[in-house]
Amino acid sequence: MEKKQFHLVHDEQSDRHVVYIKGELDLAAAEQFRRAIEPLAHDAAKTLVIRLDGLTYIDSTGIGMFVALLKTRKKQGAPFLIENVPPKVQRLFDLTGVSHFFSETNDTTERIESQS
Amino acid sequence: MKEHETIVQLSIPADAQFIDIARLTLYGLAAKMGFSYEEIEDMKVAVSEACNNAVLHAYNGAGGVIHLRFEISTDALSIIIKDQGKGFDYKRAAKQAAPLSAKPLEDVKVGGLGLFLMEALMDDVTVSTKGGTEVRLTKFRHRGEGEHAHDSISPSSVQEQA
Repeated sequence: MEKKQFHLVHDEQSDRHVVYIKGELDLAAAEQFRRAIEPLAHDAAKTLVIRLDGLTYIDSTGIGMFVALLKTRKKQGAPFLIENVPPKVQRLFDLTGVSHFFSETNDTTERIESQS
Repeated sequence: MKEHETIVQLSIPADAQFIDIARLTLYGLAAKMGFSYEEIEDMKVAVSEACNNAVLHAYNGAGGVIHLRFEISTDALSIIIKDQGKGFDYKRAAKQAAPLSAKPLEDVKVGGLGLFLMEALMDDVTVSTKGGTEVRLTKFRHRGEGEHAHDSISPSSVQEQA
């Protein structure tokens, strides 16, 4: 059974913030996510990596937050990677066109190890 | 109410913390009807988007109720999401309802994305804004799929005798 409750694990490394997000990123979880991610998004000295393996649900609320993060990181010229996107989440990224911006970001930054 | 239709209703507080309850109910009913995993995932997002709009725009955080009505018929599931708040400007949102990729990132605005998703994920979407907002989302059942589940909930089996 998928774990529903939204939660987030932050792993700070010497050159990057790796954030694992799990559960349902919906309107109810939006504020919790924003509060946790904003300070990391503003740390331009480190790469920001968000891993979505455990993300079981997302809607326009969560997608809007990723767009805001993309903007913040781009403005700072700071690397931002979104990895391990589950198929049903990828489908929504593709449908809304946001995946276009993720790939744009990835082209200009190093690719780090990604599991398939 | 049309013939050959079974109705399930649910009222939740217009509070983000209860939208997952709408998703759970939808999941239960759609699975019982034999919809595929992908179709159910699509409907979950669409129903949540309508509820999000009710929470964010209808009551201005003053508290209210969202009424959900699930109409189960032999060929479709319709979900009606209704609030009695001040109407969300769906006409304006409809103009912005488009995928994001057409613009440079700096110019991207995410308003209208919820409505865009509803339209992309459902077979039919209608919105009426008289005395609150009523969004009707419909997904048609594809024939030849989910026969077993279909039999177990066929509304014709509970039809009244004339």
